[in-house]
Amino acid sequence: MAEDMEKLYNERMDRYVKANRREKPDKVPFRPFAAEAVGAFYGLNAQQVTHDVDQGLDAIIRFCKDFDIDATVSNMVYVWTGLTESYGTKYYGVPGIDLEVFESFQYREPKKDDESWMRADEYDRFVEDPVEFTMNVWAPRMSRYFESPDSKNTWKNNLAWLKGGIGFMYYGMKIGAHVQRMKDEAGTVSCLSGALKAPFDILADKFRGFRGISYDIHRQPDKVLKATEAVAPHMLNNALLGADPAKQVPVSHWMHRGATGFFSEDIFKKFYWPTLREVTEEIWKAGYQTIYYAEGKWGKNLKYFLELPEGSIIFHCDKDDIFEVHRILGKKFAVSGGVPNDMLAYGSPEDVRKRVKEVIETVGKDGGFLLDAEAIMQQDTKKENFKAMADACAEYGVYKN
Amino acid sequence: MEFKKAPPVVFPWEDKKKEYEKILGDEEIVKKLWEEYDMFAYMFVWFLVTAM
Repeated sequence: MAEDMEKLYNERMDRYVKANRREKPDKVPFRPFAAEAVGAFYGLNAQQVTHDVDQGLDAIIRFCKDFDIDATVSNMVYVWTGLTESYGTKYYGVPGIDLEVFESFQYREPKKDDESWMRADEYDRFVEDPVEFTMNVWAPRMSRYFESPDSKNTWKNNLAWLKGGIGFMYYGMKIGAHVQRMKDEAGTVSCLSGALKAPFDILADKFRGFRGISYDIHRQPDKVLKATEAVAPHMLNNALLGADPAKQVPVSHWMHRGATGFFSEDIFKKFYWPTLREVTEEIWKAGYQTIYYAEGKWGKNLKYFLELPEGSIIFHCDKDDIFEVHRILGKKFAVSGGVPNDMLAYGSPEDVRKRVKEVIETVGKDGGFLLDAEAIMQQDTKKENFKAMADACAEYGVYKN
Repeated sequence: MEFKKAPPVVFPWEDKKKEYEKILGDEEIVKKLWEEYDMFAYMFVWFLVTAM
């Protein structure tokens, strides 16, 4: 690694860590979460960056260099569908297979309860042993190849576990090497380590589905609560097993069903928040921060996050008003976001410059702020607008003292 | 809620050990390697659910 690149990397890591910890670094860190946008900037379509991980990762290196990125996600299109196809995942629509090559991957949820990945009457078995349930019941349903131990074995089943396991390790090695490339070739920090999911989100997204969980919280609320409690320790393990040993880079947490558009505050308070709070506190006790990537609008649920220890999270603001979020949470936690995705897609570079200046001068005034779009940037992001965002961050984001 | 930490285990060593009539050498070496690889299996199971 060149000496100047190492210096640049160390400066950026210092900037990133300080901002996450609500301190005032030398500059506002530019930490964009750009997904399919990165491919589009370099002439690659969604199939190429989603299915061919090497093309996707190469594009990220170019992106980090071209836009002076302080910190970003190592694998921006975080679903590598080459791997998920190896074990026959049913819950994705894959660009180039199920979708047009320019369309982003999609999640698919079964429409009928008797087709859901976990059925309404299976809570007890899930609670008894979530790992056993996941391997023996859930996996065979969500895959075209995995078989239940109660079924006749097939060579496709054997091959899918083999290829899936090897692919998982292979992917890990690729990402490890890629993180090193980001550091060596661009001086850019890989900004996430370890993956947390809220226990309620896991049930709602991947097991019961949104329809199923919507019935269950009324028909069998105690079982839903027990299930969130049963899966919570595994979400903690999953987050910590992948966390940064140096404890500089925060754990990622993509948040879904606690947004106000899905359920009432009472439901959030009863089902979503208690186990998420406990897991977040355990991660903090272990020495890590967590990025709450709060997709959607969280409005009246924001106040609950104040129950967490100071500095334990970085709150990423999507559809909430970032000025209001900063007013509510800014005294305890760093905040990220600031630039609307529709502005990046349909606005002008001047619109973006003005917005960046406004956000930095208010939310970022005293530190504890990282500039990003509101949500993951996809292929509709205009390159000239993204360039304006990067340039404006460099221009307006320097702290005077 | 009382938070109960779960070990990152799919196939516990205690169950695996029952398969052996006797371990002639150092049991700790056998246990260590078993648990290490079992942890990868655990990570893979939750990777299927969470990371993708």
